[in-house]
Amino acid sequence: MTAPETSSNLASHSGRSHGLKDDASIQSQGSEAGLAEPKLNVETGGDWQRLSLISILYFTIRNITNAAQGLVYAIPAVAISFNIWDNLFSLEVLIGAAVLILSTSSSGVISYLMYKFRVHNQHVEIHHGVFQRRYTNLPLWRIQNVKIERPFYYRPFGYALVVLDTAGSGKEEAKIVAVPEAYAEALKKQVLYEKAQYDEDELEEPTGVNLSNGPGSSLPLRDTGVRAPDYTHANEEVLNRRSVKDIIIHGITNNRVWIILGVAAPFYDDVFGIVSKWLADKGLQLNQIVGEQTVAWWQFGLYAFVILMMIMALVALLSVGGALFTFYGYTLSRAGDRYIRRSGLLNKLEVSMRASRIQMITAKQDWLDKLLKRVNVYFEQNSTAGQQIQELMSPNKLIVPSVTEYEAFALSQEVMPGCDLRTQHYQTISKRFIRFWLLIAWTAPLLGVFIVGAVTAHVDIMIGAVTMFILVALLLTLRWWRWGIAFDTKYVYIRRGRIGVDYQCFEPYKAQQVIIKQSVFMKRKKLATIKFVLASGAVTVPFLPEEYVYQLADRVLFEVESTRRSWM
Amino acid sequence: MTTSSQQETVFSNNQLSIDEIPVLKTLTLLPISKKYRALNVFLIGMVALVLTGIATGLRFQRFWSLPENLVLAYPYVVAGVVAIGGVWALYHFFADVRIFYAIREQDISKQSGLIFRKLSCQPILRVQHVEVNRGPLDRWAGLASLQVFSAGGEMHTFEIPGLSLERAEQLREFILVHKDIGAR
Repeated sequence: MTAPETSSNLASHSGRSHGLKDDASIQSQGSEAGLAEPKLNVETGGDWQRLSLISILYFTIRNITNAAQGLVYAIPAVAISFNIWDNLFSLEVLIGAAVLILSTSSSGVISYLMYKFRVHNQHVEIHHGVFQRRYTNLPLWRIQNVKIERPFYYRPFGYALVVLDTAGSGKEEAKIVAVPEAYAEALKKQVLYEKAQYDEDELEEPTGVNLSNGPGSSLPLRDTGVRAPDYTHANEEVLNRRSVKDIIIHGITNNRVWIILGVAAPFYDDVFGIVSKWLADKGLQLNQIVGEQTVAWWQFGLYAFVILMMIMALVALLSVGGALFTFYGYTLSRAGDRYIRRSGLLNKLEVSMRASRIQMITAKQDWLDKLLKRVNVYFEQNSTAGQQIQELMSPNKLIVPSVTEYEAFALSQEVMPGCDLRTQHYQTISKRFIRFWLLIAWTAPLLGVFIVGAVTAHVDIMIGAVTMFILVALLLTLRWWRWGIAFDTKYVYIRRGRIGVDYQCFEPYKAQQVIIKQSVFMKRKKLATIKFVLASGAVTVPFLPEEYVYQLADRVLFEVESTRRSWM
Repeated sequence: MTTSSQQETVFSNNQLSIDEIPVLKTLTLLPISKKYRALNVFLIGMVALVLTGIATGLRFQRFWSLPENLVLAYPYVVAGVVAIGGVWALYHFFADVRIFYAIREQDISKQSGLIFRKLSCQPILRVQHVEVNRGPLDRWAGLASLQVFSAGGEMHTFEIPGLSLERAEQLREFILVHKDIGAR
């Protein structure tokens, strides 16, 4: 990219941001600084660079975890052929362990020696891999996402791990394993700057624009953010913070147990073994209780209830721990046209997302959330299909955990100005939805169970089948009652849920594809199902009036095709 | 395009009355090639034949003896294969003639399905890339299928099967030269 081009861009930019009062001056200052500064900062020149020595630690830990993951599958085989626990400290085991530890730790050094990188001519180039050498070359402007991770063992030394993401596939991810934090920040700034410049040249279109029309708009930065290299921290504005209390609420209302459970997975068997042994020591034999009629049924029920309660309490505790682990110190901030989320107890994780990339806002409220008046807000970006990352870590979904209802409203207004999820008049779906699912999916099996009960003269089975049927019908009714869609010429809103409520909102021009489905029976009743495919996933609303569906589809398609705005 | 002109487009857009918006319901739908149904039914017939052939071969070969149960199961296996193949072929016989497509200036649509009718509409503006696919049987029958990829993901690849090769190429060309491609 040559200098004249850039300056012309800047000129056009400042021309456009003309009306934006005081911000404009700050922006142009920032852009001049950005024009001169970052290039010197990040370029490492033609010579290949080694990482700092701390990366050996990273490589070692990574190799050990990789090896451990591989070995997990080998454990049963080893355990069968050789009873490892009986000979825990025998010579063979010790030698084996020593060899393993030595080889993995020396592999860390080798990995370190085999890793070279440079940032040269606006390309990030990395040579890495021990047995399979890989060469990664990423032009700065192709990089879509920059994540800066700080594993806890990096923090005392002031190092960071930079993860560079391209739009292509998850595989094309490059990691610069250990660089000083300041360099990581500079590199990130430079990448974002290049990207913004490139986007402008390519698209000739302001991708970051959400029309913040109306004089009352409080977001003057957004419209200009794309083309201004204003990614300095001075311009960063914190939109939302979560206190420890909020995170504890989040842990209780949302099951975050898996964060802990996932980490603890290898020890499950041992734990269960210990617990059952402990129970046995206390003279409590579960199969005795169930097997012999020594205890009255209500006593047994009480035991079960107490145990269940204890487990629930434990689970809640674990879940709170998990939530704290991921969300401790949560901040959501805006820098230019980007939203940045930072959180984490041991590993600080940073995820940033371009405002224009947000395809959909989702506000989820489970029944417990409803009681506590909390909402989980998600900003959903385009997802790379077939690649399921854990939702909390995922760069595709930016979660704001357990905000209050008012904060949720403010956040949705922030991302999609003028969007109001609650006060819409939702077009509800037809009652035939309930009948359809009852008939298609539930009647036959439950009738079968009922008949079995009747034939074998088991009243409890019959009662069970009937209760089940009523329960399913109730849930379907709730689902029918919630499900609806609204369109206010600017946004499409969807409301759904059973006991909790989820709201979704997207801009119609971001639709990738529109699908109308209609069975022969639905056609007779003048009903149809509509499905919008967005880059972040598809949303479906079934059993709507046919007329409404066709009109909405036409409107959305018209919005896409006539505005020609980019979805990215 | 500048920000202001964009905003104007959007703005004037909202002023349009509903009647002026193009309507999906009045699409003139074109049928796909008739060969497609024949090819599918033929293919199912071949698969059923091969499966029955394998079962029969196993049943009547003289190299090793089969367990008694498998010998008894033989007629049921054949009946099952024929039944499933029959239903499958019947479905294609009725469903394949109900696949239609339509082209407008700005989008392509496809209608398909026997009992559950599905009309999908893909704006060309959102197309990432286009492929014309031809399997060996397609080549033999002179058919091709057009695949249109959007950012909606693998699951939502827009595909029109059973087109004549010329038609598929023509559609691909139409999409590629469309001025919106490359503008993203």
